Amino acid sequence: MRRSLAVLAAGFTLVVSACGGGGTSAAGCTIGVSWNNYQEERWAKWDEPAIKKAITDAGGKYISNDAKSSAETQASNVDNLISQGAKVVIILAQDGTAIKPAVAKAISGGVPVISYDRLIEDPKALYITFDNVLVGKLEAEAVFKAKPKGNYAIIKGNKADANADFLRSGMEQVIGAAVKSGDIKIVGETYTDNWDPAKAQTNMEQILTANKNAVDAVLSENDGMAGGVIAALTAQGLAGKVPVSGQDGDKAALNRVALGTQTVDVWKDARALGKSAGEAATQLCGNSDVSKVKGTAIFKTPGGNSVSSILLTPNPITKDNLKEVLDAGWVTKADLCQGVAAGKVSACG
Amino acid sequence: MGVSVPTEAAPESGTQSRIGAVFAPVVTAVRSLEVDTRLLGMLGALLIIWVGFNILSGGTFLSARNLWNLSVQSASIAIMATGMVLIIVSRNIDLSVGSMLGFLGYTMAMIQAVWIPNDLGFGHEQPLTWIITLVLGIGIGALIGGLQGFVVAYGGVPSFIVTLGGLLVWRGLIFRYAQGQTIAPMESTFQMLGGGTVGTRVGALGEWPSWTLGVVLCLAIVFLQISSRRRRRRYGFPVRPRWAEGLVGAVSCGIVLGVVWVANSYPLPVNVALQYAEEHGITVPPEGLFIPTGVAFPVLIMLIVTLVVTFLATRRRFGRYVYAIGGNPDAAALAGINVRRTIMLTFALMGSLAAISAAVQTARLNAAVTNLGVQNELDVISAAVIGGTSFSGGIGTVPGAILGAVVMQSLRSGMVLLLVDSPTQDIVVGLVLVVAVGLDTFVRRGVR
Repeated sequence: MRRSLAVLAAGFTLVVSACGGGGTSAAGCTIGVSWNNYQEERWAKWDEPAIKKAITDAGGKYISNDAKSSAETQASNVDNLISQGAKVVIILAQDGTAIKPAVAKAISGGVPVISYDRLIEDPKALYITFDNVLVGKLEAEAVFKAKPKGNYAIIKGNKADANADFLRSGMEQVIGAAVKSGDIKIVGETYTDNWDPAKAQTNMEQILTANKNAVDAVLSENDGMAGGVIAALTAQGLAGKVPVSGQDGDKAALNRVALGTQTVDVWKDARALGKSAGEAATQLCGNSDVSKVKGTAIFKTPGGNSVSSILLTPNPITKDNLKEVLDAGWVTKADLCQGVAAGKVSACG
Repeated sequence: MGVSVPTEAAPESGTQSRIGAVFAPVVTAVRSLEVDTRLLGMLGALLIIWVGFNILSGGTFLSARNLWNLSVQSASIAIMATGMVLIIVSRNIDLSVGSMLGFLGYTMAMIQAVWIPNDLGFGHEQPLTWIITLVLGIGIGALIGGLQGFVVAYGGVPSFIVTLGGLLVWRGLIFRYAQGQTIAPMESTFQMLGGGTVGTRVGALGEWPSWTLGVVLCLAIVFLQISSRRRRRRYGFPVRPRWAEGLVGAVSCGIVLGVVWVANSYPLPVNVALQYAEEHGITVPPEGLFIPTGVAFPVLIMLIVTLVVTFLATRRRFGRYVYAIGGNPDAAALAGINVRRTIMLTFALMGSLAAISAAVQTARLNAAVTNLGVQNELDVISAAVIGGTSFSGGIGTVPGAILGAVVMQSLRSGMVLLLVDSPTQDIVVGLVLVVAVGLDTFVRRGVR
């Protein structure tokens, strides 16, 4: 049984690579990936298989190493990959500044670099990530659609994380005009240390207390904090009545979307990101000019650099399209639908 | 604002040493009360903080609702602070409590959300799940705390190092467990431990049980006073004057009943109350329903923990040993105290308290998340230290630590109420910590 599946999979791979070759000449090209912390679930489970598949499908060879959360180790890891014969390096940076010398060295040695998911401030590196400003925009859009007027609370992430402000600026694109016209009043806006859900809960409790529960909508920047916000709302009997946003596609959050206590969960499929990086790397094997990679655009970094970038579009998941995460195999139906009454949500049946 | 905290204690002691003659009658009166002046100072400081925030927040801070929230928010740190007092008193430290809390919270979440319902196939919402989870959690807590204590006491490795290792190990194990995933939701009965709301079930005692609790506690206070007075007479120790005894009793009782009164002044939120009325066939009067919430379960748990740990610390041999070891470890060992065993037990106690706090936090959040309890060790140690526990050993009280935890949380949640951003909060809390302990040391030196 298992063997026949393997044969089937191999056949499928052949067909895909035959159709999707598209003229890139990655055969025999070695591509190195430097992970910053391979222990975190996501990289091993979702990103790596996607990158690996894209590379091997094009006939390339995948090698990798792990910096175990050390910026110093990562710098020497990049050198190691190159001495092992890597022609292109993909880096998930531990520290986007500390890695710069190693990146500059690689590029000047003719090895193009892809900064994966996290920005490296080097104008010659290719930046591949999900569009974080767009994530914030999509979060706000879903909540704004449910409550175009009223009192808003905004629960932001860690102050030291640039993403917290990217997300917030995306939200501003949606609610900015309504805030100016007075339709929306921001009654509470806080950063949350370490994106800590328990802190988000306490902050939300205090915002509710200060406003005597007159909060009509909550823009939470991620799923973990949305969990804390919803716990605070539940205590006041407001869960499900006040729209709440989030991102990341956490199992618990998708379950809340099914239960109706969370309005939207902006989902970034790590497999799409991995695939895109793998494909970009195989193209760079043939032509090391990063601006010639398919689908790139210029991205202005916070550090004032213009880098070539591929920004992937995230997918907002609401009650209506929960089926997409099920079909993609991202969550099991048991996890998604735990506690959901029959017939209430189409994806749960 | 917060900087003014400890000044309360300063002038008092100053008067004692310098211009004591003028205030002699007052000093004698305070002495005859035999109340810890530091505790009084802290109560005064807390009062200043509360009144200050109340004015700044336009009356919101001292509303029943905010005080109820404050009590729940303080509970989990306060529970752990009671154990930290004993650890620090015996000249040790436990830096691993935050990570232990995270690890134990994750363990309990896995037991109730994955292992019992899925792996053992019993399904969700079983009546016994919550108690099995809690008992297992506390047991594992005592075990891993005791393990650290064993290495400290019998292995002779400094507690700072052992628990620093623990801080990394337990946090790392969380990732091993569920690869960084959030575990949710918790069982509905378990959620009650956090003072949360599920449908119309609220994690609080309700009106009459709260009053009963208050009255029972009052009677217990009076009983303890009488029995202690008798005992002192029997051994020929001086006793307080009658008026002083009465005043201490009345004030203690007043605080207990005041807490109950505040908790009962906080009604169930409108939406919850309406649903409750619907389910119980109560007709809603035009002016709205007022169903008192009562003392929250986390606060009740904290009260029980406080009583148990205070009892252990002051009335049992174990507690006396802890203070003796803190006062002078060599003398304690020469006096025949089993120092190693006692030290190990303090760490085991700390572990089980971390488990109780973990239950409260996961129940409250209705989820176990990977950064559960991050930096809690700092809050717990700060609470104990602000509450008068001394790093030189032998000095510290459980009620002081509880008060310390309330002071810390009051500052934090008060500042959130005023929309102060989190870096500023950290600065204020950090300054308060240093100034409080600094003034305390200064005053103590002055008295000597």
